Amino acid sequence: MMNLPLLWASILVPLAAALATLAAKKASAKSLATLNAASLAASAVLILYAYLAYGMRGLAFDPIYFRVDGIGLFALTMDSMVFAASFSIAAVTSVIAVYSLPYMRHRFEELKEEGAEFPGWRSYYFLYTLFALSMIGTVMSTNTIEFYLFLELTLIPSFLLIAFYGYGDRVKIAILYLIWTHIGALLFLIGALAVGSAVGFDFISLNTGFLVGLGEKLGPLAATAAALLVIGLAVKMAVLGLHIWLPYAHAEAPTPISALLSPNLIGIGGVMMYRIVYVLFPHTFAGFSQALYVWALATMIYGGLMALSQTDFKRLLAYSSVSQMGYMLLGLASLSAFGIAGAMLHYMVHAFGKALLFAVAGILIANLHGLRDITKMGGLASKMPYTAALALLGFMHITGIPPTVGIWSEYLIIRGAVEKALATSPAWYMGATLALLAGIGLSTAYAFLTMKRVFYGPLRESLREAREAPASYWAPLIVLAALGITAFILASPLIDPLVSQIGAVVGGV
Amino acid sequence: MEPLILAWLAPYLGTLLVMLLKDRGWKAKSAVAILSILTAALAATAAAWRVVEAGETIRWAVEWVPSLSVDIGVYFDGLSSLMALVVSWLSFLIAVYSYEYMEHEEGQTRYWIFFTFFVGSMMLLVLSDNLLTMFIGWEGTGLASYSLIGHWFSDEEEHWVGDPGRKALGKQMWFEPSHSGLRALVFTRLGDVGLIVGIATLHIAAGSTMFAAIAGGKWAPLLARSGVLLFFLWMLFLGAMAKSAQFPFHEWLVTAMTGPTSVSALIHAATMVKAGVYFFLRFAPFLVAAAYVLQGAVPGGAHTVAAFLQWMALIGGFTAFMLATMALVSRELKLILAFSTASQLGYMFLGAAAGTLVEGGLGGMYTGFAHLASHAIFKATLFLAAGAVIHAVHSRFIDDMGGLWEKMKITATSFILASLSLAGLPPFMGYWTKDEIIHISFQGALWVPAILSWVTAGLTAAYIARAFTRVFFGDKHWHVKEPHEPGPYMWAPYLTLGSLSLLLGIAWPLIAPTVEETLKHSMGVAALEVTLAPHLEAPLVPESTLLLALTALLATIYIYGVKRADLYAAAVKSRAWAALHAFLYDRWYVNSIYYWVFVDGTKALATLLKKYFDQLVIDNFYHKALPAATLWAVNFTANVLEKDWDALLHKHLVDAFKKAWRAFRSLQTGQLSDYIAYMWIGISLVVLLLCLVMGCKP
Repeated sequence: MMNLPLLWASILVPLAAALATLAAKKASAKSLATLNAASLAASAVLILYAYLAYGMRGLAFDPIYFRVDGIGLFALTMDSMVFAASFSIAAVTSVIAVYSLPYMRHRFEELKEEGAEFPGWRSYYFLYTLFALSMIGTVMSTNTIEFYLFLELTLIPSFLLIAFYGYGDRVKIAILYLIWTHIGALLFLIGALAVGSAVGFDFISLNTGFLVGLGEKLGPLAATAAALLVIGLAVKMAVLGLHIWLPYAHAEAPTPISALLSPNLIGIGGVMMYRIVYVLFPHTFAGFSQALYVWALATMIYGGLMALSQTDFKRLLAYSSVSQMGYMLLGLASLSAFGIAGAMLHYMVHAFGKALLFAVAGILIANLHGLRDITKMGGLASKMPYTAALALLGFMHITGIPPTVGIWSEYLIIRGAVEKALATSPAWYMGATLALLAGIGLSTAYAFLTMKRVFYGPLRESLREAREAPASYWAPLIVLAALGITAFILASPLIDPLVSQIGAVVGGV
Repeated sequence: MEPLILAWLAPYLGTLLVMLLKDRGWKAKSAVAILSILTAALAATAAAWRVVEAGETIRWAVEWVPSLSVDIGVYFDGLSSLMALVVSWLSFLIAVYSYEYMEHEEGQTRYWIFFTFFVGSMMLLVLSDNLLTMFIGWEGTGLASYSLIGHWFSDEEEHWVGDPGRKALGKQMWFEPSHSGLRALVFTRLGDVGLIVGIATLHIAAGSTMFAAIAGGKWAPLLARSGVLLFFLWMLFLGAMAKSAQFPFHEWLVTAMTGPTSVSALIHAATMVKAGVYFFLRFAPFLVAAAYVLQGAVPGGAHTVAAFLQWMALIGGFTAFMLATMALVSRELKLILAFSTASQLGYMFLGAAAGTLVEGGLGGMYTGFAHLASHAIFKATLFLAAGAVIHAVHSRFIDDMGGLWEKMKITATSFILASLSLAGLPPFMGYWTKDEIIHISFQGALWVPAILSWVTAGLTAAYIARAFTRVFFGDKHWHVKEPHEPGPYMWAPYLTLGSLSLLLGIAWPLIAPTVEETLKHSMGVAALEVTLAPHLEAPLVPESTLLLALTALLATIYIYGVKRADLYAAAVKSRAWAALHAFLYDRWYVNSIYYWVFVDGTKALATLLKKYFDQLVIDNFYHKALPAATLWAVNFTANVLEKDWDALLHKHLVDAFKKAWRAFRSLQTGQLSDYIAYMWIGISLVVLLLCLVMGCKP
């Protein structure tokens, strides 16, 4: 138990900022950006402190919690997994809040030219921060209903942000997004109600920590309930077959929101698949693991192939996210402490890397007259060296090239995947290796082919006038790249607690 | 803190300093970069001195990620300290050369950032005591090579490799820098996936990623019993094969010439491609130990290890031969040298494999390392001198050279000294080291690779003689006014290295025992040796090899230098010769086949999946079929079920009421007699009803 309500503060500080934003009728855009970015940065610092002081050693609870009759414990908790996710959310949303200022200024002008009706800065930042803080809440929750409430809370602001400020057929796409994520949420909720009505909604208890195996008491219903939870979260993660909403939503959302949706929101599905489904149903989940393993590899490869065949930069990144969720799922399906730790760390890797990349795509959109078509780009590195360098760092994250933290998560996930394959059969070992060759080969190919198509080669005639974006666009992003490099160097405080805390539940370390 | 850690840390610090100095001039950045590499070289020398003198190994490390048994520090044993010497001093000389070579080029900060990062990563790779830190250095070299190969990323034609406009089997045979960089990264990363799977497997089987935990080979029985040993070994070495450009991964290296020539020298001589060979040498004693452990434990296990090494020998021999044939016909000076590198790397693989099979871990290490060192020296010389020649004549094609001896005596001397070492003539260093490889392959009865390597010795002498004869002698074909020697920052490094090829060769009989003695202090070497291959007498092999090389060399000099024959013009007259020429010139069509199969195949698969699965099936299913089905269901319920019910409730029932009402109204005629009649009928009906219900008893 923590001495201070650090975790509630990490949510309530941004909430206060959001409410103040709503109330500040005369505030300038810049002050709103500063306020909201600062509140999220404060949240990141609180999370970091809560982790270093408590969470590193194991599950730690915020001193403020509630018990609701019939539902259970509403507490907030911190451990290595929660840190990997919540810190990434807070850090990325803080940086992107700063980036939003020039970007949304540009977007508002565009919308005005279109003659669209849209709410202004206060609504943007209010919804933005509400979205951010509810994401932080999801991963800290200890109870499926609590998680569900936070999850619902993420959906409304993100829906509105897409509907108000998105591109293309934005209202239609926003509704599509809302329906899809609700289908996922609903499947999850049915599973959660099935579990909750029998054994309660908590998956973490104040006294005993993770309630490992609690769901197995459901007996024959356990498999169905676990499957519903897995599929519900798989919709959120956009795993192959359930992925089709993602390219629409993430490509057409206003770019700062894409940078939040794509790595942060979808990854929550992966984090909670372990914290809720594995914890409650370790045996049932183990029974699913071979199917999930194959599904994960297929998602990796499929996402990579789709990314290769896109010409729209943001759609390419969206499919890349599908592929990255395959990596995460592979780590989870390995059932190995290393593999699951890798999946959790990959949340962070993907958060930094993909946020960088979406932000880069946004820089091109805002500064090159809405340019999104990769086939019309080329040679931009000579004009936009900082943007190119940030894109390279983003791709290095997601392809696992040092000195970014990506290499650690890549190794951990493969370490887990190999362990599982080796324990299964020689055919699995060989098949998994070949699938990894294809999957990682494709990731490398689409990442660096995109670098070449966008930034290298002779400069396009149509881009003669291009010049480096103002620093207000790229300077905040340096923080994300720096965080990824710092995490590479300071890997031990991240990886060791992950491996030991997950190992304590799954065994085998 | 151990100061020797500067052996890899100093170049990385150089990287940071160059970044900070980005707005300063070329001199400042160069000074920082060169000095940082010199620091690394001095640290490596100090360490190697201790290892050679005292025969001790130096290990200093701090924990980095304990849960993965990863630490960071330096590990100098026999192999790594010798390797660090070669890498750091060559990098230093190439850096000095760069100071003049790159002075007027674009992207100077970027050049030094990735140059120093390259050297730091290579030194980290060499000096690691565990697999993961080594892998981090390994990936660092991949990143640096990607950036440096694509240094001139705006792809001006002067930086291309290949003949612009030429196609083979319908695929373009010229490569822009940005394309070559991408190729290098994708090819080598494919191999790296194998390596990382191999590392993970060792981590599982040995419970650690430390070399010390793997050296004993205790991991082998588990893998042999699981039935994955051979596959695992292939995967583990896949990274080395890709990095060291062994067939079928050699393609990336030959197009990597798009970078500055100094970068080519760095990649080919000191860093990057040598990483794969180093990995092989590092594992040579471990494999022997594994075979030893397997001998009693798992039937056929030791044989699997031997079979794997035979495969490596075959791949090495084949790569040596294949790439040498390509070098025979190439028109680009740097490309000839690139083919030559891949071919020589084949020799190193063959040497490491054959040496291990015949003489055990130490034998493999010695044979492989000796040639690695001699190649590093002569190939750096060749590339650096080639850079000076290309600058002087403003062309990369040897057709635009010739007769340069008069104008560039220092360059020509260095180039020829190194060429003779490459050709394997005594008393140059290359003679000793290559001879050893061919000899040991015959001793081990590895007939196919042995014969391939023997033939390649002749091809090597021929292609390099062709190169230096056509560049420095014969008719002058250059189109510039006055080609001239470069300044001393450029020629001093390659003159030094060219001379070293000769001096080290003369002294080799004295040095070789020290090298072998030093290598004995490498991890795993002390382990018990097992016999994996026969040890035959191989008489006349050295003599015949030398005779072959000498004949090939002299014949080529005679043809191009004295007769000044135009073999190409003569060859293309005959259809068969022309076809053979095209086959070799277009790199055995391997490149085109890759583009047809892998690039186009992947593209086609991606497009097909996108069109017919993602859009047609998935997207349509969820966003068209599913909504349409829902709509249909809605309509169905609305039109069919709801309509009838609606009609029943709101129409038929209402109508029925209306009719009844109307009927009722029509009854009200106003006639009293009618009412009486109705009343009577009514009462009768009620009575009748009551009768029926209650039972009527009349």
